[in-house]
Amino acid sequence: MKRKIAAVAGMAVVASLSLAACGGGTSEPAATESGPITLSLAGWSLSTTPEFQVLADAFHEKNPDVTVELKEYDAAEYNTLLTADLAAGVGPDIITQKEVKFVTTFQEGGQLLDVSDVEVPDGIGGTSSYEIDGTAYGVPYRQDRWVLFYNKALFEAAGVDEPDGSWTWDDYDEAAVALSKAGASKGTYQHRWQSTVQGFANAQEDADILDGDYGYLEGFYDRVLKLQDEGAQVDFNTSSANQLTYQGEFGKQNAAMMPMGTWYVATLIAQQASGEADDFEWGIAPIPQLDESTTGLDNTPVTFGDPTGFSISAGIDDAKVQAAKDFLAFAASAEGAAALAAIGITPAYSDEETTDAFFAVEGAPSDDLSKFAWSTAEVFPENPTSNKTATIQGILNDLHTAILSGSTPVADAISQAEERVASEVGVD
Amino acid sequence: MTTDVRSVSAPSQRRRRSKLTLRNTLLGWSFILPNFLGFALLTLVPVVTLFYMSLTNWNVFGRADFVGLENFQRLLGDGSFRVSFWNTLYYSVLHIPLTIVASLGLALLLNNKIRGVAFFRTAAFFPYITSIVAIAVVWNLLFSPDYGPVNDVLRAVGISDPPGWLTSTDWAMPAVVIVSTWRDMGYYMILFLAGLQTVPRELYEAARVDGANAWDRFRNVTLPCLRPTMFFVTVMLTINSFKIFDLILVMTDGGPGQSTLVISQFIYRKGFEESQFGYASAAAVALFFLCILVTILQFIWNKRRSV
Repeated sequence: MKRKIAAVAGMAVVASLSLAACGGGTSEPAATESGPITLSLAGWSLSTTPEFQVLADAFHEKNPDVTVELKEYDAAEYNTLLTADLAAGVGPDIITQKEVKFVTTFQEGGQLLDVSDVEVPDGIGGTSSYEIDGTAYGVPYRQDRWVLFYNKALFEAAGVDEPDGSWTWDDYDEAAVALSKAGASKGTYQHRWQSTVQGFANAQEDADILDGDYGYLEGFYDRVLKLQDEGAQVDFNTSSANQLTYQGEFGKQNAAMMPMGTWYVATLIAQQASGEADDFEWGIAPIPQLDESTTGLDNTPVTFGDPTGFSISAGIDDAKVQAAKDFLAFAASAEGAAALAAIGITPAYSDEETTDAFFAVEGAPSDDLSKFAWSTAEVFPENPTSNKTATIQGILNDLHTAILSGSTPVADAISQAEERVASEVGVD
Repeated sequence: MTTDVRSVSAPSQRRRRSKLTLRNTLLGWSFILPNFLGFALLTLVPVVTLFYMSLTNWNVFGRADFVGLENFQRLLGDGSFRVSFWNTLYYSVLHIPLTIVASLGLALLLNNKIRGVAFFRTAAFFPYITSIVAIAVVWNLLFSPDYGPVNDVLRAVGISDPPGWLTSTDWAMPAVVIVSTWRDMGYYMILFLAGLQTVPRELYEAARVDGANAWDRFRNVTLPCLRPTMFFVTVMLTINSFKIFDLILVMTDGGPGQSTLVISQFIYRKGFEESQFGYASAAAVALFFLCILVTILQFIWNKRRSV
């Protein structure tokens, strides 16, 4: 009776038990404060994700005594592999927090060092995602936020007014319908992820998914279903049956608009340069708002986005702790932010200098609205930092697929999700 | 004379025999050891550990507090586990008979001396060795409710409102069963083909002489002679159906909603996505006992029928 899952889980157990036993008392010769220090840093897809190397190099230049070595993990299985390494006591010194929902897992497992004393610049976003009971277990360096990408050429061809920062969701719907009526392209493309609906709903309704009440999602789902019915966007079922990619849908001009995270800016520039995406003029605008209280260039639009941050492993050599904390502070600082922005990354901290650096990249849009959308936003985390987040997000993803596939009415799916959260997770 | 010789050489002969026994034993061990070592290290030890882990609240980082049967109590009250349990049974009840019928049919068909039989046998086996991800992607396209060829055909034969297949909570599981049957039937066909070679030809001849038609020959000669194969196939199919995972993960990921969530995937989600390895282990143990129970029942039933 070969039982794959059991075997895999069991193997991990055995591996961790035996390795934890010998990994417990690592006695590396303590490096002195002045001697050279090497820090290991967990990263993924290093060839296509240059941010780790950029930070490591910039930090080394400033602190010649400290070298940051990258340890590469497979991007798709990053957390699983990192978990296995940490459990075995062979994890890296600095842990990159790829997904916020794993912060509590690592913290509850006693894997993270308290980094509350690391100084971060005022106005940096995403710090709350690493706080558990008032203690910081990580420092954000990157914070993508969701904006509206739009294809200026398609807007012009359809004779529809481009977004101007004043849009609510009603304006967005109207434009999407008008665009799809005018041309061969769809008005907009909404990717299959649950965040493309729930992320905005959670942020703009200021909702807490932990409280177990999801009635606020109804309006957002009704709106999406309506857009699907009117043919203003590819429906969920077609998107999943054909495994559509968002890069293809927007890059090949199949859709005139697309809500997406700012990481796509760098991708789109690269794909336009390589010919993978069509060559057309585009820009980014603030994501449409719930009502007019947050629209306009004199307001701060509300959106969402999880930060990416660095934590320090509890297993780190004492002599290296200060160097590691220095690295965290550097990655979060204005200097680190500028280095990141220059390669198309959206740093957690932004000021005029980072904005200029970001938009100086060749192929980036140059209009003021794009700069506004990129630099000005109240960014809510998508995933609250809690040990219940993973389970609740799983339940809400079931709700998402049930509604958008058209198999369950919105209200029914919501009440099912509420019941499941109450019985399987428990409400605070 | 001969007795003398025998009595003289008896001790040395005995020694030689014990040496021979030892050599044979060692030889036997050396054959079985590599396999057993692998099995013990990669299967036995982890499974035994799993049983212990199911009694803890282990979250992967060493801290595994003993919680007794708490995990199992929680399983009983867990709505998602119940859903995955019934979905697994639903899948098995559809998949097992369908695969047996399809693979046996194929085996009977390809047991005849027809032109190009080797080619057809290979073709039928192909799905089994095809990458599961490729299978999932292609079948997803085929099942596409509006543009897929499957529904095009259904509409062409007059069904105006064909099912939504993978996009419908009612039809997603049947769609998965169709794909898994298509994928598995080649493998079980090979087993049935092997079984068919053991059916004595004289029996068919005798039946023919007695005036039995094709259906009678199938029912009264082929099926009874195939019973050992049928038993083996059923047991393997049952176990494989209970632990179905890969196909569902890549085709539907349990959706839409929870309509195709099966036990293995429940285990995967609890363990690797929610880091509740103790709880996931308990679910794995439950699945283990489910498999054992059904297999024992099948053995008892088989024994009773063979008496």
